[in-house]
Amino acid sequence: MRIIIVCLLICFTSNVFTQNCDAYKGHGEIKKYEACKKQKEAYKFYQFTKEYQELLDEAIQIDSTYDNAYWAKSIAYLKSGDFLSWKPLIDKAVELNPQMHLGYRGWCRYQFFRDYKGAISDIEEYERIIKDDIGYCQNGDYHLLIAKAICYKAIGEKDKAIKIIEDYLKDNDEESDLYNYYHLGVLYFERGDYNKALSNLEKQKESNNLADNRYYMAMCYKKMNNTNKYKETILEAKKLFEEGYLLNDPYTHHYDKVYLSQIEEEINKSKRFNP
Amino acid sequence: MRKVFYFTCFLFLFSCKNKKTEKVIYPRQVGDITYDVKLDNPNFIPCNGDDKILQYFNTGKGVEYRGGKKEIKDLFEKNYTHVKVDESGLIRIRFIVNCKGETGRFRVIQMSDNYEQFTFDDRITNQLLMITQGLDGWKEKENHGTKIDYYQYLTFKIEKGNLIEILP
Repeated sequence: MRIIIVCLLICFTSNVFTQNCDAYKGHGEIKKYEACKKQKEAYKFYQFTKEYQELLDEAIQIDSTYDNAYWAKSIAYLKSGDFLSWKPLIDKAVELNPQMHLGYRGWCRYQFFRDYKGAISDIEEYERIIKDDIGYCQNGDYHLLIAKAICYKAIGEKDKAIKIIEDYLKDNDEESDLYNYYHLGVLYFERGDYNKALSNLEKQKESNNLADNRYYMAMCYKKMNNTNKYKETILEAKKLFEEGYLLNDPYTHHYDKVYLSQIEEEINKSKRFNP
Repeated sequence: MRKVFYFTCFLFLFSCKNKKTEKVIYPRQVGDITYDVKLDNPNFIPCNGDDKILQYFNTGKGVEYRGGKKEIKDLFEKNYTHVKVDESGLIRIRFIVNCKGETGRFRVIQMSDNYEQFTFDDRITNQLLMITQGLDGWKEKENHGTKIDYYQYLTFKIEKGNLIEILP
C-alpha cells in the first residue's frame, strides 16, 4: 500500500504526468501547445539520447518561453552529474515558471550536489511563492519541508531541523511518508536525547522497517547502557540489511545512510560488551 | 532597386545558414566520452563497444563498489591530503567501467560553489584523479543477463581545500 501511495505521489508531482498540451490550446497559447506536442515526441526516446535532446531543441525553437522543454533537457545533465550544463537549463525553466520548477530545483541541488544552502534558499523562496502546501520532492521520498530540514541539519542547524520536522508531523498524516521519523530519531540521537530518539525510531520501525533505523536504535541502547537490547538490535540491523530493507536511492545516497561495514564494525564492538 | 532586392535575399539566405550552423551537435548520449589518444589508456576497451555503454543507474542498483560506497569514502579520507587554499565547489570525475570492472577514459569538470566553471588548484584535482584512477573495486554490472559497460562518476564537494563529501 505504501509503495502504491509513493508511486502515485511521484506521478502526481512529476511534470511528465501532469502535462496536458491541450490546456495550452484551451488558453489560446498555440505556440506552447505546439512546443508541448514536440516535447511529447521527445518522450519516445531515452532522456540521455541525441534524439531526445534535439526534439526538445525544436520545442524551444517553436516557443523559447516554453519552460518544460528546458526542464526536460536538464534531466540527463543532472543525472550524469554535469552541474555546469544542468544549471543554466534548470535556471531558465525556473525563470520562466517558478511555480512549476523552483521546488524541484531546490530538491535537485540537495539530492545530486549536496548544495544545502542553495536548496534551502530555493525551497524557502518556493514556500513564499506557493503560500500553500509545497508538496513532495521529485522521487516522492520526502515532503519538501523535510528535505529542507535535512539541509538545515547538514549546515549545522540541528534544532531548526528538529522543529521543522516536528511541526510538519503535527500537521500531517505520517502514513504517507517514508523516512520522517528516522531522520528525526537520528537528530535526537545526535543531540544526546536518547529517549526521544528511540521513541521516533520505534515509530519508524512500525511504519517502514529499515536496517539504518535499527542501527540507530542499537546505538541508543548502547548509550543507555542497555547491553542486551544493544547486542540484539545491532544483529537485527545486519539481518535487515541483508534482506534489503535499507535506505536506497538508485542515483545517490540518502542523508543519514548507514552502511553494512558500519553495522559489522558495531557488531564486533558489541562482542566486547557483557550484560 | 534590383540590387537592394538581391542584397536582401543574400542577407536572408546568410541568416538561414547561420541558424542552421547554430544547431547543437549532440553525442549518442549526454555525457558520452570518446577515446582520446592523447589522454586515454589504449589498453582500456569497453567490452560491448562505445555505442552500448549504459549509465550506472540504468540497472536500478546505483553505485556498486566492493565494500559499498563507504569503502570509497574511507579510501579518499585515508589518501586525500588537505590543500590549504581558499577554494570551494564541486569536482566531477566521469569515467567508464567495463564489463570486467576495469576503468578508463577519465574526464574532469569543475565548478565554484555558485555553479560557475572554475579551475581548482592542481594539487586538489590531481590527487582526486589519481585516487579515482586507483579504485579497483567497481562491480561488474549485468543487464538482462549480459555483463555491461557503464558510465560512472564521482562528485567531490570541496570546502576551502578540504574534501567534505563524495557523491553520487
